[in-house]
Amino acid sequence: MSKKIMIIDDDIDLVEAMRITLESAGFEVIDAQDGVKGLEILIAEKPDLLILDVMMDTQDEGFQLAYQLRSSEKTRDIPILMVSAVGAQTGYSFDSAKDEAFLPVEEYIEKPINPQALIDAVKRNLPIA
Amino acid sequence: MPDQSSRVFTSFYTPRSLRRKTLWLIKLRWFATTGMVFLLFVGAKFLNNNLPLKNLILTVSVLGLTNLAYNIIAKRITPASLKLEMSFVRIQIYLDLILLSILIHLTGGITNPFYLFYIFHVIIASTIFEQKIDPYCITIFSVGVFTIMVWAESQGWITHYNLFGSSLSLLSILISIGVFYLTMFSSAYLGVTLMARHLKVKDIISRQNIELKKASQIKTNFFRFVSHELKAPIVAIQSSINVVLNLLGNDVDHKTADMLNRAKKRSTQMLNIIKDLLDISYDRQLGDSEPEKVIPGDFLMEFLENERSYAEEKEITIVENICVERSDLKLDKFILEKIFSNLFSNAIRYTPEGGVVNISTSLNDSNWSLTISDTGIGISQKDQKYIFDEFYRTKNAKQHAGVGTGLGLSIVKKLVDQLGGVIILDSELNKGTSITIKIPIL
Repeated sequence: MSKKIMIIDDDIDLVEAMRITLESAGFEVIDAQDGVKGLEILIAEKPDLLILDVMMDTQDEGFQLAYQLRSSEKTRDIPILMVSAVGAQTGYSFDSAKDEAFLPVEEYIEKPINPQALIDAVKRNLPIA
Repeated sequence: MPDQSSRVFTSFYTPRSLRRKTLWLIKLRWFATTGMVFLLFVGAKFLNNNLPLKNLILTVSVLGLTNLAYNIIAKRITPASLKLEMSFVRIQIYLDLILLSILIHLTGGITNPFYLFYIFHVIIASTIFEQKIDPYCITIFSVGVFTIMVWAESQGWITHYNLFGSSLSLLSILISIGVFYLTMFSSAYLGVTLMARHLKVKDIISRQNIELKKASQIKTNFFRFVSHELKAPIVAIQSSINVVLNLLGNDVDHKTADMLNRAKKRSTQMLNIIKDLLDISYDRQLGDSEPEKVIPGDFLMEFLENERSYAEEKEITIVENICVERSDLKLDKFILEKIFSNLFSNAIRYTPEGGVVNISTSLNDSNWSLTISDTGIGISQKDQKYIFDEFYRTKNAKQHAGVGTGLGLSIVKKLVDQLGGVIILDSELNKGTSITIKIPIL
């Protein structure tokens, strides 16, 4: 059975690019365009891995969602890849102390997305079982 | 580079505000004239009638008339230039001093405590003139005139009038003490007025400062927002192109792939420009978290470890000479990374294959310095003036390497400025470039 990857990103073109990439590598892809909808679908569909955008409706919606997922028993173990066009280096400062406390996301991937790098990162972080 | 040594002198005044000073002087002078008329009446009645009353009335009248003239000029003629207005004030003060000297001479010279009134002129001059030379000139003039007058009286070259006669009467004591009181209170008044003005200005400045900080914060936040908005579509474009090239690469023909590669290259360029613009607008905001700090030498070695492959691709030899660092000397990681990456990538980019890039650091009591020198294309004398300007790229650089934002060195300059450091450029066309940055340490 193919692994199920969920993408939450408000940029539908990016979602499409990632979807094609991941489907070509044999994954099943589901998506949502915002955090609230994303959480609903995520709980219903139980994906094997989540690709999450940082800035959606608000500047840190992705972080908020990641925090929520990490603090809930049911969703704690879903690996999260954070994709962002605003790395920590771009002048944005996320509070690093707070980040460390609740954001052990598996990996940060900087946009634009390199297809091979995305596939590698997904494979690297999927649960082995 | 902005030249900090040639600071232009900007006046505290406008012609109009200096005119208000003149009006203030006129007001003070009316008080003085009225006071003197009163004293003349009292003096004529009770004091030594040796005093040359006629000459005194004449002098006070001249004072009153000149003040009337100033008043008419000040009210009728609009202030033209600062220089003219300043000269007007100067004329008034020197004429006042001459009239005061005549009055003192006519009323007893050194025996008349009114000579304390010179002090007011000096204080007023010090509060009006911006350049120190004027108050000192006025002081020297006062001291000089008074000394000559006293000397001339004592030598009998001019008449010495005696204010109090020969005996020390009660009245003469009262007058002396009265003048003393007047001097004290007037000095206090002048000092207090000056302080009040100073505090008011300070208040205005600090309020404006807060406004400016707020405005700058709003601007920075807007800039960050705009950058993200600009970045998002390009990221989507490039991600889409990547998908086509990587996954469908074998299915598209050579020409299509070539055009897509060009599009990808240009979108990368655009992303780099936005990234550089964000870097150049880097400014720690109120409420931002503390910057991460690292030991510069250690961080540089780590940086070089990651970036070395770019040099190897071009077969460029890197010579490192990184000195032993102090473990307590740490600098802002973000700033260091931007400085290193811009200087290093420039050195690699503008050095032909097989060249050498030399990287060294040194540390003394006052500075941490980094020198990156290369055997690259160099910068002509003419271009050296401009290379720290935003978007400036030399013709040479464009020919040598197509892609570049022209922002790299201006970012370095700005960040080094933020750390209070300096950049030293040493370059010769076709020989190579050496850039040294010196960062002051506490």
